[in-house]
Amino acid sequence: MLRNKRNEAIVALLLIAPFVAIYGLIFVYPTIRLFITSFQNAPLIGSGEFVGFDNYTRLWGDRRFNTAFWNTAYFVAITVIPGALVAFAIALGVSRLKGRLQALVLALFFLPYILPVSVVYLIWDWTLNFQFGIAMYVFDMLGVDRVPVFKSTVWFMPAVGVITIWWTAGFSILLFLAGLRSIPVEIYEAAALDNASRLTTFRQLTWPLMWPVTALVLTIQLILQLKIFDQVYLFSVGGRPNDNLVLVYYVFQRAFQYDQGGRAAAAAVVLFILVIVVSVLNFQLTRLSKGRA
Amino acid sequence: MAKVFGVAMGAIVAAGVFATAAQAQETVTWWDFLSGGDGVRMKQLISEFNAAHEGDITIDATTLEWGTPFYAKVRTSAAIGEGPDIMTYHASRIPLAVSQGILQQITPDDWSTMGLSQADYASATWDAVTVDGKQYAVPFDTHPIVLYYNKDALAAAGLLTEDGKPKGLDSREGFEATLKGLQEAGAKFPLASTTADGTFMFRTVYSLVGQQDGELMTDGEFLAGDNAEKLENALGVLQGWTNDGLQTTYTDYPATVALFTSGESPMMINGVWEVPTMIDLKDQGKLFEWGAVELPVIFDHPATYADSHTFAIPANAGKDMSPEKKTAVLEVISWMAKNSLFWATAGHIPAYGPVTQSADYQAMQPNATYSSVTENMIFDPKSTLAGVAGPIYDVMSTYFVPTLNGEMEPAEAVEEIKYELNDLQ
Repeated sequence: MLRNKRNEAIVALLLIAPFVAIYGLIFVYPTIRLFITSFQNAPLIGSGEFVGFDNYTRLWGDRRFNTAFWNTAYFVAITVIPGALVAFAIALGVSRLKGRLQALVLALFFLPYILPVSVVYLIWDWTLNFQFGIAMYVFDMLGVDRVPVFKSTVWFMPAVGVITIWWTAGFSILLFLAGLRSIPVEIYEAAALDNASRLTTFRQLTWPLMWPVTALVLTIQLILQLKIFDQVYLFSVGGRPNDNLVLVYYVFQRAFQYDQGGRAAAAAVVLFILVIVVSVLNFQLTRLSKGRA
Repeated sequence: MAKVFGVAMGAIVAAGVFATAAQAQETVTWWDFLSGGDGVRMKQLISEFNAAHEGDITIDATTLEWGTPFYAKVRTSAAIGEGPDIMTYHASRIPLAVSQGILQQITPDDWSTMGLSQADYASATWDAVTVDGKQYAVPFDTHPIVLYYNKDALAAAGLLTEDGKPKGLDSREGFEATLKGLQEAGAKFPLASTTADGTFMFRTVYSLVGQQDGELMTDGEFLAGDNAEKLENALGVLQGWTNDGLQTTYTDYPATVALFTSGESPMMINGVWEVPTMIDLKDQGKLFEWGAVELPVIFDHPATYADSHTFAIPANAGKDMSPEKKTAVLEVISWMAKNSLFWATAGHIPAYGPVTQSADYQAMQPNATYSSVTENMIFDPKSTLAGVAGPIYDVMSTYFVPTLNGEMEPAEAVEEIKYELNDLQ
């Protein structure tokens, strides 16, 4: 059959044109403007004079940016790998269940994922509030001193980390479960015939075969947690915000509270590059290592 | 076919009639950030205004989220000409707004159109809306912080004076004796303080700095000279209360109010905007006898932090306000000022002098008791960094929380605050 190549190209162009137009308007164009603004002494609205690399060099000596950077790194460290491990463990457990019970348990673990962040915040504030939180009464009963979880710098990040894992594990569990189901049963039967122990089966079969999924989960989580903002903002408003800063919060603060669009843009560019570099690096490393940890 | 045509014609004619009717009436788009007990009262004022101006002016009001969300929205929408016709604004945020060019000046002509003048306002309040000799908003109220107290609990402990006020309001020793007396009488935490929320404690700390004639900003420098020491003194007193178990620790805003209204803490320092909460609870029979007075004098003389809700007209970029619209907006502001007696039930002190001097206001309780505070009010420093939900608030909050809960020494906190504030510029 003969095809009219030119006609096909036109149709293809027509079909992708709406997407390209929207993508260009709401992503490419603002991104270019972001880079330009980051070199300007600009307020939140409008542009300013060009100041070269000033906005970037000022980031270097900014204590607040420093706090935000290390807090973000800390948050990524306590959520990405631990979160993936927790989800993997739960997925292994759920996959052993059968039928309706499995559906029910899976639904229970998935439930927090559908909650909006504001609800997550309220639930945990009711639980851990220093004066009226339910958990504090448990502490009192056990004779333990109450802990001002969201008002102390020691407890803040770990607490928000645990809450984030609780909240977002559902999605990772689904991915892991899909991965586990795609491993052919025959492989396990063969391993059983060879008298392989459970541990060996897991180490030699499940773990390497699951590696592509694990790499995917890790990459998704890494990008997500580098961009952490909502929970940190909600839990620290009115408390000690400058101690709990993360990178996106820093950008928000500079732009919307301090009206310094240029400096905010510079921080956003740094975050942008950071996310690209770290996630590409992560994906390549996990792909190359193929589970040979 | 003819029938359909007839119906269509009728619809067009009807639409035309409605359109002309609508033109005769000015709709004033209004934004505010009042969502608590005062929001309810503002909605009532607005509906009264609409009823009194039927067929003439209608206020179309929207309430937005207080703080950063409100001010970020005003900023961005004014820049593209999509702001409201009138909005509530904190006086403390006016210097920043003027530097951004998002407020229209209230000209002398505007003042005379409204029938209001400088003589109607307290000088501190008038000054708070003035930048470089020009006014950019019309003060509607002032809202200081006050000391709420549980009359029943204080009476039981023998700590009420004959005129029903707490004992020891004139000195640090006196007030601390009252707090200790309450502690001995069985109150676990005599004073409910918002110690988990530095932005609220800012008002108390700033009042105590003002009681020593301290200033946050002098000649564009933060905490210069002995002002740093005065801040340290203020923090020292408040930290002392924490160390002696006289005030609640790590307590956020809702918990503070709950500790007071549930009777657990017999005293609370909070804004006058909680007055409606108390009045409403009392009406439902769920509250003890209560009162509110000016803050105790801990240092040299009385001084209380206050801010002011004002009405401002945004400078919508590329969109000139028609003279008819402007007249309607000025009528709204003028009417609100002259009818602000009802606003006093929200706890706020009306800014318009003739209202607070009226016999009706003087008979309102506890408003009349704490209205003496008007003479001792101090406002935020005139800086683009000042104002509710602004950078100064953030810096202060971050160091107040550890200091007031005993994690950090006042001297260290002052050092850090000074460094960060001067670094903001």
